[in-house]
Amino acid sequence: MNNDYLLNKRILLVDDEQELLDMVVSILREAGFCQIATAKTVKNALDLADSFQPELLILDVMLPDGDGFSFMEKRKGSYPVLFLTACGEDDDKLRGFGLGADDYMVKPFLPKELLFRIMAILKRSYKEENPLAKLRGSEIDFSRAEIIKNGEHISLTAKEHNLLSVLYRNAGRIVTIDTLCEAAWGDNPFGYENSLMAHIRRIREKIELNPSQPVSLVTVKGLGYKLIVEGR
Amino acid sequence: MNNLPKLIRRFTGILLLSFVVLVLANFAVLAFLMVWQSPSVADSPYNIAIQTGKAFQTSENGYTLPEEISTQLKEQNVWAFVVDNDTLQIVWKTENVPDTIPAGYSLSDIADLSVGYLDGYPTYTGSTENGIVVLGYPKDSFWKHTRASWNYNFFAHLPQIIFLVLTVNISVILLIYVIANMKFLKPVKPITKGIQNLSVGEPVHIPEKGLLSDISANINRTSDILQEQRQQLKKKETARANWIAGVSHDIRTPLSMIMGYAGQLKDDENLTGEERRKAEVIVKQSKRMQNLINDLNLASKLEYNMQPINTAKQNLLAVVRQIVVDFINMDIEDKYPIKWLTDEALTVCPVNVDKDLLKRAVSNLIQNSINHNEQGCKIYIEVTADDNYCTAIVSDDGIGASDELIEKLNKTPHYMLCDENTTGQQHGLGLLIVKQIVSVHGGETVITNNSYGGFTVKFMLPKIK
Repeated sequence: MNNDYLLNKRILLVDDEQELLDMVVSILREAGFCQIATAKTVKNALDLADSFQPELLILDVMLPDGDGFSFMEKRKGSYPVLFLTACGEDDDKLRGFGLGADDYMVKPFLPKELLFRIMAILKRSYKEENPLAKLRGSEIDFSRAEIIKNGEHISLTAKEHNLLSVLYRNAGRIVTIDTLCEAAWGDNPFGYENSLMAHIRRIREKIELNPSQPVSLVTVKGLGYKLIVEGR
Repeated sequence: MNNLPKLIRRFTGILLLSFVVLVLANFAVLAFLMVWQSPSVADSPYNIAIQTGKAFQTSENGYTLPEEISTQLKEQNVWAFVVDNDTLQIVWKTENVPDTIPAGYSLSDIADLSVGYLDGYPTYTGSTENGIVVLGYPKDSFWKHTRASWNYNFFAHLPQIIFLVLTVNISVILLIYVIANMKFLKPVKPITKGIQNLSVGEPVHIPEKGLLSDISANINRTSDILQEQRQQLKKKETARANWIAGVSHDIRTPLSMIMGYAGQLKDDENLTGEERRKAEVIVKQSKRMQNLINDLNLASKLEYNMQPINTAKQNLLAVVRQIVVDFINMDIEDKYPIKWLTDEALTVCPVNVDKDLLKRAVSNLIQNSINHNEQGCKIYIEVTADDNYCTAIVSDDGIGASDELIEKLNKTPHYMLCDENTTGQQHGLGLLIVKQIVSVHGGETVITNNSYGGFTVKFMLPKIK
């Protein structure tokens, strides 16, 4: 999947430490982002938020004239926010998420991890028009809840759609039985393993060319399932 | 407070025993004195009088007393005379009979002197062939019971009466003792209660009055000191945990820059392989520092009860499975293949835990296996359940540990919690945190060697019924 369009997004960086700002800017530039602005105070950031119109905000908690949390309460607009801070306590994290943050990273961090998280937020926030997930032998159209196999359109049930969405978001990685049950049946889904197997079987019938020998939706024994997406 | 009746019982017992022993001892002493003070039967005046009477010989000249007896009487300063049965006149007498003694006697005189005194001299009688012999002992040498007579019943029941009197006396004394003790022990009650409360660390305040007010005051003061010390300790612990939290916070930003730039350099294609390798080492070591800071912070918070624990019903199996999958998804399968050994029939292991902390514990264990086996190892993970416990077992076939080290890991406190010299203890915080997390959930951690030749950590958590 091509994510280049995400590199044009405007990113506003707020931190009181000049050297850290410099470093994050260099990490972002190296990754290909070109529209980056920085601010060192809450006031400065609020001004820039008006003029620069960021599409992603990377925010520290401790700032000279206030904190990132109060900024969240004052800000206008609906751009996503990533907290990047040295405050690693659970309470801080919960407060951040409670105020609507999209992610919360505690310093120190690896540049690659920061980039992965930024891309993930941007991907979630700015979807490409009508994305199709390409599998071997079929395609998933999430917007229409359909499978396209051999030119045929097969519709998905709500549960199958939920399950496939979770699997697709984690494409190439194992998703545990428990996470899938939670996606389909809600919190603390004890004892739904057999129902899950039935749903997986039905999904396979829709997406696999040979459902008894699955190549796209594979079982990892005892642990969970993995969706193999072409080109990933 | 349960010891108080026991105390009273014991004291009463001792008192009772003392009474019995004392009474017996008194009787014994009395009997001894009686025997010792009263003359033997042969030497008693009665007997001597009878013997003297028998010893008289009568002839035409009258009475004669053998020489030895008269000498004996003289030696004892005893005088004697014989009264004839018919005439009631003295027919024979010793030389030392006082002048005041009359020469003739009526029958009533005889009756009197046989039981009592004659002119103040204690007298004793014996019979001769035709009369009676009267021995007179020196004045005040014997005391005689002249008019003694008691109701017969009284003497017939004397043992019972003595016993009754003793019993009543002892009971009265006991009653006085118990009442006095009760009075004395009443103020002891709050004191013992206070001491009990002290021992469980509760604040104590006893009214400071009565006999034992000094002790009450001291206990109150001790309680105040203990409470203050507890608060001081709590304050110190909080300060220490806050200090660690502060240091770990302040280290994060500089470490970010080290890690960030080193991370960039590591991937910079303009640099030589050697330079990039060096940058990679910096990244790796920064990562280690980061983990250490996180661990230190969490361990200190767990130790000083400052970590909020948000427990909820969780499926231990699901939590462990998620961590295992997270590690597998990190693509470490080549070097650290993870084998899932859990029985597929097992689907639910309900436990009451803080999910995030439990995840931390499980990932610490897997990370521990990875950290200690740089050459790579297989990691085996299993979840089991019985009626009472849910158990997670993380094993590896890596380098393992000596029995000595295993023993140490199981028993010795970690250097962070140790008040002794800590040189020589090198192990990290990972296992300590696992132990702490398991312990706050009421579980138990066991570290062993395993049949794969590596290291096994097993923790059990109470199962929800």
